[in-house]
Amino acid sequence: MTSTLTANTQRCATRYLGEVEYSEESVLVFPDGIPAFENEKRFLALRQPMSEPLVFLQSITDPHLCFATLPVQSACRDYQLRLAPEDLEALGLDQNRQPSIGHDVLCLTILSLVENAPPTVNLLAPIVVNLQTLRGRQAIQTESSYSHRAELPLREAVCS
Amino acid sequence: MRRRAGDSILIGDDIEIQIMHVGESRIKIGITAPKSVPVTMKEVKLVGQENLAAAQLRSIAALRSMLDRLMESPAEGEK
Repeated sequence: MTSTLTANTQRCATRYLGEVEYSEESVLVFPDGIPAFENEKRFLALRQPMSEPLVFLQSITDPHLCFATLPVQSACRDYQLRLAPEDLEALGLDQNRQPSIGHDVLCLTILSLVENAPPTVNLLAPIVVNLQTLRGRQAIQTESSYSHRAELPLREAVCS
Repeated sequence: MRRRAGDSILIGDDIEIQIMHVGESRIKIGITAPKSVPVTMKEVKLVGQENLAAAQLRSIAALRSMLDRLMESPAEGEK
């Protein structure tokens, strides 16, 4: 996302990328926060050329809180989104169909790096953001069999 | 304990779990509980724990080296 210096540009300290400028229109709003961080409702999705394809989900209110995420399809090429009716409603999406990743929604999977263990991504509960409204939610896909600790494939972007 | 659709289970005095509908592979239940008792799917707790772990991220350098290992191969040919 590019930012220009306009009247509504604000600054925010980040965990990894120093201070960044952002405009209010680029803020992702999570009305319910995300599990374990229910009070964190405003995030920025930040990219950095050197860290592609990572997307940093940075809390605006807490500079120390930043999740490293991947576009879900970088972690799992044929990822299937099956949002529950409650999630579709909360995100203000069409109740009659599943949203298209990249067109209707941004879909990110949170990366977890624990010492002495292979990195994993949470495919069970992707971060889903309505691209029209930038309203977001961590949607637990109870209808899917994806793992909350799916190992990233080492050589090829395939998944089971 | 065996219950049918329409039956209820009481936990203590003020929590009621009612079996609303029994389908082929899932059931619909209604839960009545005091406001002070959070009612969530078990997965929410699981995801919360995973989020807490993910928030304890190492340095960006560690991330980058991990990414280099993971992401190099498929993208290389395409670019």
